[in-house]
Amino acid sequence: MINNLIRSLNIDISYAVNSFIYGIRKLPILDDLITDDIYKSKISKRIISVISIILSCIKLLVFRLSYCSVIYFISIFLFNDSKYFSHIFFLFTMIGLFINNKLLNTSVKRYLSILVFNMNARSYMFSSFSWDLILNVILNSVGFIVFSNFCDISLVTSLLLIIICLLSRVVGEGFNILYYKRFNYIWYNNYPLYFSVLGILLGLCFTPFINIFINNIFLIGSVIVLGILSIISFIYLLSIKDYKIMFKQLNTLKNAVNSKEAEAYSRQSMVEIKNKHKEVDKSKIEGKMGYDLFNTLFYERHKEILINSVKKFALIIVFIYIGIIVGSCFDKSVYPTMNSFLHNRLGMFVFLMYFINRGAIVTQAMFYNCDHAMLTYNFYRERGVILGLFKKRLISIIKINLIPSILIGIGNTILFYISGGTDLITYISSFMFIVMFSIFFSVHYLVLYYLLQPYNKDMQMKKMSYGIASFLTYYFSYVIFFELVVSTVTLSIISIVFVVLYIIIGLFLVNKFAPRTFKLNK
Amino acid sequence: MRLEVRNLSKSYGKNEVLKEIDFDFESGKIYGLIGRNGSGKTTFFNCLNEDVTVDEGKFYLEDEYGRNYLNTSDIGYVISTPVVPEFLTGKEFLEFYIDINKDRITNLKTVDEYFDLVKIDKESQNKLLKDYSHGMKNKMQMLINIISNPKVILLDEPLTSLDIVVQEDMKKLLKSLKKDHIIIFSTHILEIAMDLCDEIVILNKKRLETVEKDNLNTKKYKDKIINCLKDESND
Repeated sequence: MINNLIRSLNIDISYAVNSFIYGIRKLPILDDLITDDIYKSKISKRIISVISIILSCIKLLVFRLSYCSVIYFISIFLFNDSKYFSHIFFLFTMIGLFINNKLLNTSVKRYLSILVFNMNARSYMFSSFSWDLILNVILNSVGFIVFSNFCDISLVTSLLLIIICLLSRVVGEGFNILYYKRFNYIWYNNYPLYFSVLGILLGLCFTPFINIFINNIFLIGSVIVLGILSIISFIYLLSIKDYKIMFKQLNTLKNAVNSKEAEAYSRQSMVEIKNKHKEVDKSKIEGKMGYDLFNTLFYERHKEILINSVKKFALIIVFIYIGIIVGSCFDKSVYPTMNSFLHNRLGMFVFLMYFINRGAIVTQAMFYNCDHAMLTYNFYRERGVILGLFKKRLISIIKINLIPSILIGIGNTILFYISGGTDLITYISSFMFIVMFSIFFSVHYLVLYYLLQPYNKDMQMKKMSYGIASFLTYYFSYVIFFELVVSTVTLSIISIVFVVLYIIIGLFLVNKFAPRTFKLNK
Repeated sequence: MRLEVRNLSKSYGKNEVLKEIDFDFESGKIYGLIGRNGSGKTTFFNCLNEDVTVDEGKFYLEDEYGRNYLNTSDIGYVISTPVVPEFLTGKEFLEFYIDINKDRITNLKTVDEYFDLVKIDKESQNKLLKDYSHGMKNKMQMLINIISNPKVILLDEPLTSLDIVVQEDMKKLLKSLKKDHIIIFSTHILEIAMDLCDEIVILNKKRLETVEKDNLNTKKYKDKIINCLKDESND
């Protein structure tokens, strides 16, 4: 098992090093300076290995610390007190127990290790799982060293939570595999069950409002229960012999063959049309012709990634707002903070809007399931067709993304009202702010897609400019999120002017340049 | 050595693809598996390789150790679109593969000898697999699959998109392997099958069936195969 782990890590390192070199060679000038010989040079590879390992460690640490920061911010945001960090951390760990599914996870790396390199599946699974557990303990320990000071968490609580995290991973894997073997699908594909479990656990995050929170005695009890369950789970996991067959069933050859890049693989899985959506309801397409029909068919067949996922977001948003509204009724002292937050820090919602907007994934789906084939035909590249379809798509994307944003807008208005209220202009402007940014991101992704069409046929991003533009969008959202403290009315006026200008300029640019820029990258 | 397929059935929903198949494949021969598009050739391979669960049926391998259930470790499966780790060089891929599978490899050769076998030169060995052409990737895939000396080699349309020089190299390689292996080669290009294979098996009416050559010349044999396939579509 240890040998397998070492081999697997060696392959990972080689992969990372070669990707790193490949990336560097993509930069101007360096391509001519660095030849293929670098791949066989042992010294340069060793140096890059060390850099790559350090970068991976930093990445893991940053990720874990960000996770802890999110929990820290939630505890401050909801309860204005960091002592509830351990309460939320525990419940998030329980959510992780159910949804953090490593052994049944599909990935190109696993496909290659087990099916191409022909590693012993069972031994590979256990070695990579053990490695994950070791990393989990190390990273959580670092997380608690940093955050125990901020949040006033005792050493005992920290240790208990680290142990719970470890045990819950073992229990979670056992549960997931047991469920898969019993029902032949991974449990979280059963949406009613998934949302019920998620809903209950998220709901429990709000219990400090009614003065119920997790203390050390509860944590000790959890360690005992999870300890027993993890032993049973571990014995069960050891008893399974057919990991390879299970793995093959989950990682169908077709999925891996369709794309050879990890990134492309995950993207394609995300944007693949689900079988059940191949049949389109006739009433939706009745009387439609030409590109109107074309666009409707596209949206109907992508319900899963478009409309259904937006509905899921909408449900979660409704749930969170109800949680906050009901929770705050039990502790009215949070109202002034809430009211002041809504008055001055509405910018934070830009970050939220950035994350929930489906624009990026919709454009990927457009490309993979439609444009990458259609763009090979001359009639599809005509100016009128490109612009006509752009308008239809824009309206559809805006409509889809407006659903969760309107809910957030309504949620904020209710929170404003119950936390002490505000004037009519602020009510309207806070609502408009959310709606405008929803429209902004919808327009933004589509404009970028039409102007910079960055993908090649394997869904690899081939244009640096698209990457830079996406990063700037993220950075812009981040800056507003953290830095901007202005009143809601001012912010709304600025944002409305900005978004309207952006839309006008965006549409103008698409009109002028898209017929030339919207094409296949060779 | 003999591979026995017994009572194999496989359906996808209501669509029955394979029905109560009984067939024996023997070593020393290359079997050309012919069928029309969508006839179930890949499904048949996927069943053998346990990539899909069968509705019914068993597979046995009879060799010098007796008659046992077929194990996936006995199978090398070469698919038409090669899957290789793109960010490893050809040499790294081969070295890692040998290291991982050294217990199963008999008659271990050096890395250079293996590359010579599929005619991949020194310069290409140190290139990323990402930069390999389709034919080169296919050669790598073939090499990986024969290195560990599996008893059964399944080839799913492996020559279809290769240039004629690579095709010839591959054919020679397969012919050199047939003595100690059971080789089943699926294709819908009849000329390749007739040129390379010792026996033509068609997937007809959801069952496998040998098309006997008898004393027919190439032209008549070809017509006979086509008639069998047409017969299937008329059903």
